[in-house]
Amino acid sequence: MSGVRAVRISIESACEKQVQEVGLDGTETYLQPLSMSQNLARLAQRIDFSQGSGSEEEEAAGAEGDAQDWAGAGSSADQDDEEGLVKFQPSLWPWDSVRNNLRSALTEMCVLYDVLSIVRDKKFMTLDPVSQDALPPKQNPQTLQLISKKKSLAGAAQILLKGAERLTKSVTENQENKLQRDFNSELLRLRQHWKLRKVGDKILGDLSYRSAGSLFPHHGTFEVIKNTDIDLDKKIPEDYCPLDVQIPSDLEGSAYIRVSIQKQAPDIGDLGTVNLFKRPLPKSKPGSPHWQTKLEAAQNVLLCKEIFAQLSREAVQIKSQIPHIVVKNQIISQPFPSLQLSISLCHSSNDKKSPKSTTEKQSPEDHLYVLEHNLHLLIREFHKQTLSSIMMPHPASAPFGHKRMRLSGPQAFDKNEINSIQSSEGLLEKIIKQAKHIFLRSRTAATIDSLASRIEDPQIQAHWSNINDVYESSVKVLITSQGYEQICKSIQLQLNIGVEQIRVVHRDGRVITLSHEGQELQDFLLSQMSQHQVHAVQQLAKVMGWQVLSFSNHVGLGPVESIGNASAITVASPNGDYAISVRNGPESGSKIMVQFPRNQCKDLPKSDVLQDSKWNHLRGPFKEVQWNKMEGRNFVYKMELLMSALSPCLL
Amino acid sequence: MGVTCVSQMPVAEGKSVQQTVELLTRKLEMLGAEKQGTFCVDCETYHTAASTLGSQGQAGKLMYVMHNSEYPLSCFALFENGPCLVADTNFDVLMVKLKGFFQSAKASKIETRGTRYQYCDFLVKVGTVTMGPSARGISVEVEYGPCVVASDCWSLLLEFLQSFLGSHTPGAPAVFGSRHDAVYSPADTMVQYMELFNKIRKQQQVIETRKPNQ
Repeated sequence: MSGVRAVRISIESACEKQVQEVGLDGTETYLQPLSMSQNLARLAQRIDFSQGSGSEEEEAAGAEGDAQDWAGAGSSADQDDEEGLVKFQPSLWPWDSVRNNLRSALTEMCVLYDVLSIVRDKKFMTLDPVSQDALPPKQNPQTLQLISKKKSLAGAAQILLKGAERLTKSVTENQENKLQRDFNSELLRLRQHWKLRKVGDKILGDLSYRSAGSLFPHHGTFEVIKNTDIDLDKKIPEDYCPLDVQIPSDLEGSAYIRVSIQKQAPDIGDLGTVNLFKRPLPKSKPGSPHWQTKLEAAQNVLLCKEIFAQLSREAVQIKSQIPHIVVKNQIISQPFPSLQLSISLCHSSNDKKSPKSTTEKQSPEDHLYVLEHNLHLLIREFHKQTLSSIMMPHPASAPFGHKRMRLSGPQAFDKNEINSIQSSEGLLEKIIKQAKHIFLRSRTAATIDSLASRIEDPQIQAHWSNINDVYESSVKVLITSQGYEQICKSIQLQLNIGVEQIRVVHRDGRVITLSHEGQELQDFLLSQMSQHQVHAVQQLAKVMGWQVLSFSNHVGLGPVESIGNASAITVASPNGDYAISVRNGPESGSKIMVQFPRNQCKDLPKSDVLQDSKWNHLRGPFKEVQWNKMEGRNFVYKMELLMSALSPCLL
Repeated sequence: MGVTCVSQMPVAEGKSVQQTVELLTRKLEMLGAEKQGTFCVDCETYHTAASTLGSQGQAGKLMYVMHNSEYPLSCFALFENGPCLVADTNFDVLMVKLKGFFQSAKASKIETRGTRYQYCDFLVKVGTVTMGPSARGISVEVEYGPCVVASDCWSLLLEFLQSFLGSHTPGAPAVFGSRHDAVYSPADTMVQYMELFNKIRKQQQVIETRKPNQ
């Protein structure tokens, strides 16, 4: 800037005073300039007193400076007014900003001028164009599109992949959470099945049947413990469970009640040595956790113990004709004289040291599952009874017991009435009755089947009824001849098999009671079969037109049968010429004789009694038929042939 | 529960209580009765406590609490001419709680024990009445099971009693007279026993008062 001529800039205000109005003749009326006090007032109004005292000084000084005339200030606005400018407070001078702007513009212009002049000389500064990257050779528009598409697809793919990654991570986390069940969720599952309570810092559970009405004194508590023996470094095993249950030591393993009936008399040396065979554990539901199976097995052991304790208590207390023997884990009783019922508690613990339960005197087939199941049912019924409303006292302060027993005091019941209220039958008696019935039933079935297979003529059929009771079953026995079922159906027996007896109701109304002896039933059926043959002849005679001359179910003649009685029938042919006489006995078999008219017999003694020859047409002597040489597959068929042979055909 | 008649058998001359009981039982066995075990009827006496009498000045009432082995789960409580309560055996425990109102009279427990015979429809009980260690008399109870109305079967009972008691047959009990057409209840039996025990107690007192005189 040195050496450059100063540029004169003169600034003058348009006019000193503001024009108030212009008269019609061109004269101007000027506003009176503000007097000093007025100006001061105006300026004072603009003072911001909230600002610091520095600004106040400036304002005050500026207010003084402004009091001078404008014109005086304007004339000293020269290029070398820099010093003069310093005298004024720049913040209040109205042309200050203009001056600054102009000054900066000047500065810039000067700089530019200087630069350009230096650049023109090219000695110290040159203009150099900006180097640009070489433009790539002009591409195919398709390649460009391809690349751009590729890039955009890659970007989209990235986003999708990120999203997919997030999803898979969350899914795996869920699965891991399921596998890696934590203690509390497992405890919740346990709580859904079993009763738990917290005692101190231990969690105890109850697996006894006490809440269901049992009175067994076993505590049945199990403890829930946290399974902390997991190595976090290794992979968590599949069946890892953070929870473990500890069952009482006497409930470990598995148990069942074995009920069996044997025919041999009890051998004293055999008592108490029931060999347990380890029944395969009942398959637990596939999804159930291991603690569930453990607890269920322990509960089953407890129930079996209770059943056996109840049975043995009753066996000792109840008086019966043949006393029951209780030895260690076995109860032996004799429902029938030659029969032995043994109920034993088989408790096998889980330890592997006794796998050798192979030498068994009793085979597994001896075990009656039905009775074991019934024992379970009976004890559960007993449990329910203790909780039933008959037992629960009203009011709550009354003593426990059957409702009627509570009344027995105030109503002065005597011993008979008290006995009638109390359920007299215990578990053992019930199960013995059921065993008796099962034995009778199976023996009846065996008897009928053996007879049916052994004897072909007549045939024996048994129709067992579907609906049975634990103490009663029934079967309908029909004795028929093959081919003649419609004609000869007079022997139909209804057998009601009870606990100790079999009641037979015959079709003709007779009621016969058979005892438990097996031979009685067999003898009875044999006698009925023999009677059937004779009845069949009677029915056949009706069909064939033969006349029944005599019929007896129990003949008093002939050899005495050891089983039942023999029966006999005599039938005459339609024209009266012939008569057939049949005697059938269970032991002696059948004897058939045919009566011929006199004129057909050659060896009759002549006598003077009969004068007329017409008497020769009457029937005379009997001749026996060789029945085993007769044609025909069964008795009735043979009889029919015989009858037809003896009836002349009318041609 | 049938109609029952309770009576006292006087001790035979020159014989002890036991011997008389033996005579009776032998007679019954010859008749054909079968022994069916033992029986026991006991009675305790309670006074109403003095505190409850207050200003009324009444004599304290006597309450008798009795048990009968024939009704093993029941307990009977009766006043002399008053009602008879039939309760279950918790009543004894209740009496302990009511100690303030009922005080047991001293040496008051009296009981009869003996054998029980069944003769067809008749149930005969012959027992020795004891108060403390000493036997004081003989009680005979006959029950006719099938009938529950006293008036209907009194004559039959009388005849049966005559057959083995002979001349010592009692007259109709007082309870029969009052409600002889109503259904007989076990409480009536206990009333009869109470009367019997009271009679025996009085006899005992008479004997005791006589003794110093002799």
